[in-house]
Amino acid sequence: MTASTVAPTTPLTGGRAPVGTKNIVWHRAQRVFLSVWKPISIFIPVFILGSFFTFGLGAISGRSPAALQLGDAATPDAVAALNHQFGLDQPFFSRYFDWLGALLSGNFGNSWVNGVPVIKLLGDRAAVSLSVAGLALLIGVVFGFIFGSIAAQFQTRWPDRLITTGTTIISVLPPFVVGIALIAVFSIWLRLLPAVGFVPITKGFWPWFSHLILPAIALSFDTVSDVARQLRTGLVSVYRENYVTGAVVRGLGPRRVFFVHVLRNGIGPALSVLGLKFPALLGGAVLIETIFGLAGYGVFAAQSAVSGDVPSVQAVLVISIVLVVVFNLLVNIILNRLIPSAARGV
Amino acid sequence: MSIPVAGRESAIVLDLKGVTIHDDVSDRELVKGVTLQLKRGGVLGIVGESGSGKSLTCRAILGILPKYIEVSGGSITLLDRDISELTPKEWTQLRGTNISAVFQDPASYLNPSIRVGKQVQEVLRVKAGLSRKESRKRTIELFHDVRLNDPEYVFQQYTHELSGGMLQRVLIAAAIALEPDILIADEATTALDVTVQAEILDLLGELKVRAGLSLIVVSHDLAVVAQLCDEVLVMKDGAVVEQGSTRDILYNPQHEYSKLLISEHDLYGLERFLYVPEDELEQEQLRYA
Amino acid sequence: MVKTTLKLRSAKIAVAMIIFIALITILGPFIAPYDPLANSADALAAPSAAHWLGTDYLGRDVLSRILAGAPLSIGSTVLVAVIALVFGAIPGILSVYLKAGFEWISLRIVDTFIALPFLVFAVATTALLGNGILQAMIAVGLLVSPLFYRVARSATLSVANSQYVEAATLAGATTGWIVRKHVWSKVLPPISISLATTLGLGLIVISSLQFLAIGVQPPTPTWGGILASDLGYLQQQPYAPIYPTALILITVLAFNLLADAIRDAAGESGRTLIGSKGAKANRERRLAARGDYGNALVNSTEGVEDAGFPDSAAFAESTAGSENTAYPESTEKEPV
Repeated sequence: MTASTVAPTTPLTGGRAPVGTKNIVWHRAQRVFLSVWKPISIFIPVFILGSFFTFGLGAISGRSPAALQLGDAATPDAVAALNHQFGLDQPFFSRYFDWLGALLSGNFGNSWVNGVPVIKLLGDRAAVSLSVAGLALLIGVVFGFIFGSIAAQFQTRWPDRLITTGTTIISVLPPFVVGIALIAVFSIWLRLLPAVGFVPITKGFWPWFSHLILPAIALSFDTVSDVARQLRTGLVSVYRENYVTGAVVRGLGPRRVFFVHVLRNGIGPALSVLGLKFPALLGGAVLIETIFGLAGYGVFAAQSAVSGDVPSVQAVLVISIVLVVVFNLLVNIILNRLIPSAARGV
Repeated sequence: MSIPVAGRESAIVLDLKGVTIHDDVSDRELVKGVTLQLKRGGVLGIVGESGSGKSLTCRAILGILPKYIEVSGGSITLLDRDISELTPKEWTQLRGTNISAVFQDPASYLNPSIRVGKQVQEVLRVKAGLSRKESRKRTIELFHDVRLNDPEYVFQQYTHELSGGMLQRVLIAAAIALEPDILIADEATTALDVTVQAEILDLLGELKVRAGLSLIVVSHDLAVVAQLCDEVLVMKDGAVVEQGSTRDILYNPQHEYSKLLISEHDLYGLERFLYVPEDELEQEQLRYA
Repeated sequence: MVKTTLKLRSAKIAVAMIIFIALITILGPFIAPYDPLANSADALAAPSAAHWLGTDYLGRDVLSRILAGAPLSIGSTVLVAVIALVFGAIPGILSVYLKAGFEWISLRIVDTFIALPFLVFAVATTALLGNGILQAMIAVGLLVSPLFYRVARSATLSVANSQYVEAATLAGATTGWIVRKHVWSKVLPPISISLATTLGLGLIVISSLQFLAIGVQPPTPTWGGILASDLGYLQQQPYAPIYPTALILITVLAFNLLADAIRDAAGESGRTLIGSKGAKANRERRLAARGDYGNALVNSTEGVEDAGFPDSAAFAESTAGSENTAYPESTEKEPV
């Protein structure tokens, strides 16, 4: 303990000139700014292009409200009147910017089929989609992290082999196969859970949960396997890093090395996958919603697309793009906080 | 603060007897019978080119050999304990507290996502049970001890914001935080530029005296070893080709390889960084001439 | 590369399975014993000598429907992969050689395609553009194409930036020669891996669309469509979904096995795996010679772990020890 009290006998070296607290604050502010700005700059183009594709899709589909509402017998005048009413006689780009502007103020337009505001149609289905996607995400995160961590901990031993093989199989299983198998086992054979339908949570937790758990499990398979595999890869590569050896040599125990040093640096790929997963769970659950008879966003988009209700389709697509952008921003900001070295230019 | 270990007062802190290290992937012997002793407060140098087995020997002593590489013969006794009998838990307890190490490429040995100060603090909190406040204070003191300018500022920086020399100082601070008996410096100055290299060597020498460390200094550079060590091992292709006091080997090398190392050094080396003062060196040469 | 790949047992199994599926696809419509669209009074019948796999809810012969549905299921999958390859790999390679503007725009488009929720966009695009099989294949193909774009781009980048190509250029080699000699051999293995993966993935997506009656409408027989109609009669015939599912899974598994086999043959991982297997044997031999297997754990914190391994390539990659494997890593940042 006396070592610390001995004054240095040689001049101070190996450091820069003393810096005051003001500079430390400025330094940190720069870091925070960078960690927020960089992901934003990546996702602005994604939003613009994604919304442009979505709008362009409606435009090149050649569908119109006139065809839907007036039928084949429509007079040219009536068609022109309706097109004018929906603003379809405007040039492409002015329609795109009008549409984008309306979106930003929360106006998704009216359905071409029945004239009801699309936002109202979406609102009715929000409970279903959010419940299923939320539960699936929860299952995916919990089990994905457990499996991924175990596999990395027991690298190349049997738990790892079991999990790696299992997640590989799960990842190639088509969702409709999983859905049908779950219904066959739990609803028809064991008669434990209902096969189809949705009950709002206001009618009680168990009725709500019992209708949700099978679709949520079916939907989560993909997430579980992706998260587990990405986490395993991330953790395994971090375990090879010198700073893990460094921590071991400093005398830190395996548990501390894992939670403090390895997990933090190895979680990146798994978090990035999650950023893409939630939007896909919400909008991309078409199959699972169909199999389990749930009236969610996926089925809504598919039915609207088949009937040619362009505004409704565009609404679902845009919502999923916005979710993609928001979730990825969140993930990136979290990652940049967790792994600051990743934030300085790539 | 460090946990007392049986035999802590023993004069020999580290004793290797005929240690062989085997690589099971290539099925080759990588280290062929290294015998060495490190006295308390002593400084031992290991010189050799890369691949000569010197780093593997150090890793064996620290119990961190890579997968499929094992100690296949001989014995390593660390503070009177045969390390082949240590459990993982005992290893964890021993490392940091009794034996520690610094390596080449210091940046890679610190977690890039955690402020460097926190990583030194972590050792003090986890291993020595200091409070947040105490450990921070002690870390700043340690940074001061290793001659880091402006310790408060360095404390909150990340690895990518510091130079190699500064990072090596941080690592040394972390390594000596618990006042271990043995510190292994495995090519610790290799990637640093020469002036920084000399400063780090000065620092190690000074810490040895102040904190009563026993040092193992590993390098491919004879000058580094000559500056600090009492005793030197010259390794080539996994075997010890010469072993003795630094003076004997520097001025009266027996083995061809040692002679080669020294003659190369005379040709290309950086004598001005040799610690031996110029006049003393002349006297030495006269004596051996 | 083909020769090395075919030496692996998993590749042989994969190829056998693919040949089986290909035969069904080509011959299926001709060997179907019944008209796949012909109803009969004998609905939901169990398997019998007349109907090997039974009949469906309209009394149609299930075997005939599965055989007749093969070309639409497998054929569209192959076309999806080809579309994805053309629209992914070519811009991917060009992005390295054409200058900044094209590179930036193509990268942003790829970022966007990757970020979009896949299935809902495929469904929406197909249905809005006329709900035909061609629209479905183009939509899915384009949405999968970023995979090829990235693989082709990173492989090309690694070649373009490598010193041996620089040396060849300095020595006066023509661009054509460099492409033939170096680029091709570097780009081909990762593209083949992606192609095999895409064929597996493509069948899942195409079957999903068919299941939803997107792109193809009943009563046209398709594997996905058969599954959809089976779903309504699970009570009566819980085994019915097994037939189309088995065919889909065989195909997907075959292509995944093939992808892994190519990866092993092209990369370092195969060699490393053999290395770790050898290490275990060497160790045992050494300890047996010393006669003290019991005291084997000398100074190793980890011990030596069981070096057995599954056939997954993701796994193989990770057991490669401290050496880097030879996969072309993307040199650009991920979009997320």
